Amino acid sequence: MIEYMTSSPQSTEQIGKDFGNTLKKGDVVAIFGGMGLGKTVFVKGLAAGMGISAFVSSPTFALVHEYPGNPPLFHFDMYRINSWDDLYSTGFFDYLDLNGVVVIEWSENIEAALPKNCIKVEFMQGNKINERRIIIIGGEKG
Amino acid sequence: MRVLAIDSSACTASVAIAEENKILCEFYSNTRLTHSQTLMSMVKDALDCTGIELSTIDLFASSTGPGSFTGIRIGVSAIKGMAQAMKKPCLGVSTLEAIAVNIVLKNCIVCSVMDARCSQVYNATFKCENNTLTRLTEDKALSILELEEYLQTIDDSLPIVLAGDGAELCYSNFMRNNILIAPDIVRFQRATGVGIIALNHLHTNEITTANNLTPKYLRLPQAERELRIKNGEVFK
Repeated sequence: MIEYMTSSPQSTEQIGKDFGNTLKKGDVVAIFGGMGLGKTVFVKGLAAGMGISAFVSSPTFALVHEYPGNPPLFHFDMYRINSWDDLYSTGFFDYLDLNGVVVIEWSENIEAALPKNCIKVEFMQGNKINERRIIIIGGEKG
Repeated sequence: MRVLAIDSSACTASVAIAEENKILCEFYSNTRLTHSQTLMSMVKDALDCTGIELSTIDLFASSTGPGSFTGIRIGVSAIKGMAQAMKKPCLGVSTLEAIAVNIVLKNCIVCSVMDARCSQVYNATFKCENNTLTRLTEDKALSILELEEYLQTIDDSLPIVLAGDGAELCYSNFMRNNILIAPDIVRFQRATGVGIIALNHLHTNEITTANNLTPKYLRLPQAERELRIKNGEVFK
């Protein structure tokens, strides 16, 4: 387990970038934490760390964004997923077989479906208004 | 009767053209490319290689499930699109039945089994007698344990042949006499199997229109459980 404190979006993005740099094909990253805690900024950094230069935005409405790369990145947002049928129809289980990196925001909603060996990243509000605590469990960084 | 058949229900994708119990052509791919990239070019190549015009295809067939959500949608959509444009009928084939037709032996039980993750499988069981398959159970999703219990009820003087991408998983888990695993080369679903079923269309399969062809998903036992772990604190 590794813990970070950050007090700006830039530093959250940098943590994401360093973390992204350690990811390899087949990794599943389950992100936990509510709105406005910097999850998407973290994923922006993560993509950059994987060598992906595309513009990364929140997939809340599209459910999943695909970014070509080596390995490719599949960025899910499970905010609106409420049932196994919902989850199945996102193609989530198919993406797990594609040998890319799968990153999942709002993992709280699909916790029972997460692969056992996934890397977990939790975002929490810190003591100050712009402070965030980020905990990473599993993977090389954990 | 000339059939164009597709299977893209799992990692592999294949396209076949079959006629009067003869396979004219089959293209098969097992890459990490998505089926949406490979399938239509295989259809085109199959038509080019056989010199067959799409307009001379009498029936369009696809495996309609169980299987991968996106894979099945891609195969079914491709078949629906072509059938609609050509104003020809469609046939949906059970993926599990397409697996079973690979195993035509004199006297055995064919147990088609596909891995559905988390110790769950999709399964249908067939009796094979004198080159004819008779369905013993409907397509269903169940736990590996339940399947093992069911197979124990079958008379063990008949060999059970496991086939499909869940066969290995079950073979290593099951305690039963007289259980075999299909050789690699005939273990998995392919468009040829879909095509052969379409030509014989084994009773249970009905010819339909492009409009009415739909994927058939099976609900997994895990779907009865909570997806969101209540009061679950991951980092405790």
